[in-house]
Amino acid sequence: MKLADIAQVIRSKNAGPRRLTLDLMFTTDADYQRVVQSPSLSSENIGARYGMAADDVTVIPYPAGRAIKIVLARPIMAGDPGDRDVYGAQQHAPLLEVEI
Amino acid sequence: MSASARVLEEIHRARRPMRFLGASGQLGYGIPTPAFNGGLARRPDLIGCDMGSIDIGPTYLGKGEMATAPVATRRDLRKVLLGARSIDVPLVIGSAGSAGAGPHLDATLALIREIARAEDLHFRMGVLRADLPRDGLRTAVRAGAVSGIDDMPTLTEEEVTEAAHIVGQMGMGSFRRALAEDVDVLIAGRACDTAIFASLPTMLDFPIGLSVHMAKIIECASLCCLPGGRDAILATLDDDGFVLESMAGQRRATPVSVAAHSLYEQADPYTVYEPEGCLDLSAAEYAAVDDRRCRVAGARWHVSTDPCVKIEGARRIGERAVLLAGAADPRFIAQHRDILPTVATVVRDLVCEDAPEDYTLRFRVYGVDGVRMAAPAGEALPSEVFIMGECIAPTADRAAEVVRTLKQYLLHHGYTGRLSTAGNLAFPFTPPEVSLGPAYRFNVYHLLHTPDPDALFPLEVEAL
Repeated sequence: MKLADIAQVIRSKNAGPRRLTLDLMFTTDADYQRVVQSPSLSSENIGARYGMAADDVTVIPYPAGRAIKIVLARPIMAGDPGDRDVYGAQQHAPLLEVEI
Repeated sequence: MSASARVLEEIHRARRPMRFLGASGQLGYGIPTPAFNGGLARRPDLIGCDMGSIDIGPTYLGKGEMATAPVATRRDLRKVLLGARSIDVPLVIGSAGSAGAGPHLDATLALIREIARAEDLHFRMGVLRADLPRDGLRTAVRAGAVSGIDDMPTLTEEEVTEAAHIVGQMGMGSFRRALAEDVDVLIAGRACDTAIFASLPTMLDFPIGLSVHMAKIIECASLCCLPGGRDAILATLDDDGFVLESMAGQRRATPVSVAAHSLYEQADPYTVYEPEGCLDLSAAEYAAVDDRRCRVAGARWHVSTDPCVKIEGARRIGERAVLLAGAADPRFIAQHRDILPTVATVVRDLVCEDAPEDYTLRFRVYGVDGVRMAAPAGEALPSEVFIMGECIAPTADRAAEVVRTLKQYLLHHGYTGRLSTAGNLAFPFTPPEVSLGPAYRFNVYHLLHTPDPDALFPLEVEAL
């Protein structure tokens, strides 16, 4: 099953100009548990989808919000020459197709 | 007696839960009137609005311009000023004018003075400035008292000198100093959004952790609700927790929606760093009061042994001009990865015939890889693309020269197998070259370690 078919929210945004935060939110505890335990969400696998090393990826489970936070180091600081997404609000697309 | 003194005295005399109205998370983009008026009817003890963010990028900070339209900004300011004065409670606005530097703050103050004149309003206004003196900052750089945030390169004295504006994010201490000066309205330059709401209750010894957690949520108005939105939100704070209630009936603050809000724009959902300490949400609890109200408790506050202020600066890097064009020829689209650098070389050879190569030229090809920071190779190509060529050059004339030359040679470039010999590009309008003015980048995004953060932010009080 694809992440886009399980999650209620899959979004990205800056957390400061040098980090991207990707939030995955779920409607039920069962959905959250299923995804949080999946090896598809390892730092290595997420990093591969964003063309970055596992060291630049942090995955933080957040059970109180039935959510998972993924933090990435931005390859280009927000607003620097060559940036493609100053707010970082459209960097979630590579997660939609992740198989859980 | 002004509003801040009146509220402080009233709560001090007879302690009771305090009410806070989060009127807007981004003043200047419209404040829905029904929810705001609903909030006023609940007699809040303070009305707060956040007005800025670093998310909008470096250009507003660098240029000293607001992101919001002046007419819309005036409309929102008028609404919250009239509202706060009608019930005689403090109005607190943080990060004035989008980026909170001197020009942003001064433009906001000019609007407020003009509204006060037009509406015959009279009040005492505290003003906190966020611009950091360069000499002191260079001294701090030399002393090793500045460190980069999130792997930002080490700050140099040269970068401090070259930044167009440098601001610090002031915290609760500065706001408390202002609120103690008997003010009705407090306008701050760049500020921590939490300080807008957490300063007043912590002057009255409400728990700091709860006050800051509440502030962190309501500075975004009803964004923590389901469905999220920009309507005003009311928080009621006591010594053990706070209750959230959107002033728009259809927006429900639920335990999950409120808990999830602490993910928003934060790298760590459990910790929020402020100048004076950090908010620890690891023991936070969220419980439904009813269908549309949520009670929150458990946040803790840890006082920092190393107080520091986040500092932000933007440096001009040149003048920006862009070319905007579309294409629908499959052969052109198939070869665009070769065509664009080839034409860029043609342009360079022409514009650098009698001048140095003093500019940068970049392309975004929308439909292919214009948006994603790392688009995978080998995806099928679309049947249309939109191409943006972006030049940053030392002068506006030079940037315009580059993109105008680019337009002509990209339009008429003869590539292998070309059938469309009359032109390669579709322009949605002409001229398709646009000069965008100065370009900036963030050259300061650091922590300034200082034993007394509040001393950085001078307070002025003005009677209107």
